[in-house]
Amino acid sequence: MEKKSYYWIIVLVGLVMGIILALQFRVTSNIARNAPAVDRPIALARELEKARNSRDQLQKKVDELRERLDQAAASPELARVKEELDRAREQAGLTDLQGPGVEVTLNDSSNELQPGDNPNFYVLHDGDVLSIINELKAAGAKAISINGRRIITTTEVRCIGPTILVNKNQRLSPPFIISALGDPDTLANSLKMKSGVVDSLRVWGIQVDVKKVDKVVIPAYPGGLVFEYARPKN
Amino acid sequence: MFSKSPVHISIMLVTAIMGLMMALQFRVVNQMPAGIPTDRAKEIIAELKQVNREKENLTREIGDLEYKLEQLNRGKSEAMLALESELKKVRMSAGLVTVNGPGVEVVLDNPELQESQVPPELSVIQDQDLLSLVNELWGAGAEAISINGQRIVATSEIRLAAPFININTTRVVPPYQVLAIGNPETLAENLELPGGLLEYFRDMGFQVTVEKHDELTIPAYSPR
Repeated sequence: MEKKSYYWIIVLVGLVMGIILALQFRVTSNIARNAPAVDRPIALARELEKARNSRDQLQKKVDELRERLDQAAASPELARVKEELDRAREQAGLTDLQGPGVEVTLNDSSNELQPGDNPNFYVLHDGDVLSIINELKAAGAKAISINGRRIITTTEVRCIGPTILVNKNQRLSPPFIISALGDPDTLANSLKMKSGVVDSLRVWGIQVDVKKVDKVVIPAYPGGLVFEYARPKN
Repeated sequence: MFSKSPVHISIMLVTAIMGLMMALQFRVVNQMPAGIPTDRAKEIIAELKQVNREKENLTREIGDLEYKLEQLNRGKSEAMLALESELKKVRMSAGLVTVNGPGVEVVLDNPELQESQVPPELSVIQDQDLLSLVNELWGAGAEAISINGQRIVATSEIRLAAPFININTTRVVPPYQVLAIGNPETLAENLELPGGLLEYFRDMGFQVTVEKHDELTIPAYSPR
């Protein structure tokens, strides 16, 4: 009698195990079928990486062609146009520039959040970056870059989550380092003016550090120059 | 007591195995996506689109430069023409050329009646407002912008020099007429987004209108 109940238990165990195994198997095979969906962001990121690489290749080619164009235009008859071209390129932000200037480092607030405070007030916003850049321009900065990205005419500064997007596709994350070429004293003073930009950011505890430097390097804007809508007036 | 023990052992074994399997099952289920993070994919897709557009621009630029280089090696007059055409393009990007094209006209003025949500002394258009408007338009793909006839270039400031706003060190007064060349639909849509800039302006009580145009003229930058 005792032996019999022992067998029954084994049978029961076998049954339960079988059911569990079958369940497990079904769930696992379901996952396998759904796998591509899980990987979508990763696959896209890989695609993006590829596109970025080929963009960089194209960019190199453009730089090389511009250089060859310059070399070919070295003859004296073309000197006048060449000189104008160089000047226009400088104004368009297509050349590397360096010289004395300031470096402004921006970071999110160091204030401890009080209960009930809106945390949004204490993080850096696109508007803050914009007003620093604007102030630098007003103080006569000749060229400005943010985290190594050149600010040109059409540059926008927009918050995307915790990052900032400039030049339509360059994603930057804090700390932001804004470099500006110009008279270091004028630039630094205009930022540090009483109740000026730096003061108003410090109200929120945003960390702003302005440093005068003997040499800032502002890289050229690397994109192509294509106008889809605007055309020159004749 | 002794005779019952194999039953006890087998039950213990079964429970242990079941526990193990349940744990395994639980872990597997846990690994399944609790909702695929679509916003991450969305973000990457948007960036991918932008990079691809940039690639297209660069390819066009390469074609253009290669053609000019070829012309340059052909003869003196061709070389001159090629270089001048390159100059024209660069000058256009620098904002040194008057341009035509479709776009939007945004007119922004201080409130007339005191109906706004904020005290009257606060509902005056500030440099920050114009700055964010211009920034929004660049972000939406504008190719050229002017405010009251002042072309906005890389070094243009928009700054309160009380009681007026200076742009390119030239005083501008309300109403502010902002012209932007680009895709009129895209530009207008970006401004009119729910919770967007225009909604904010209206909440502040500003008088603001947006009009799409087939043809606008934006003057060249003329430094003072």
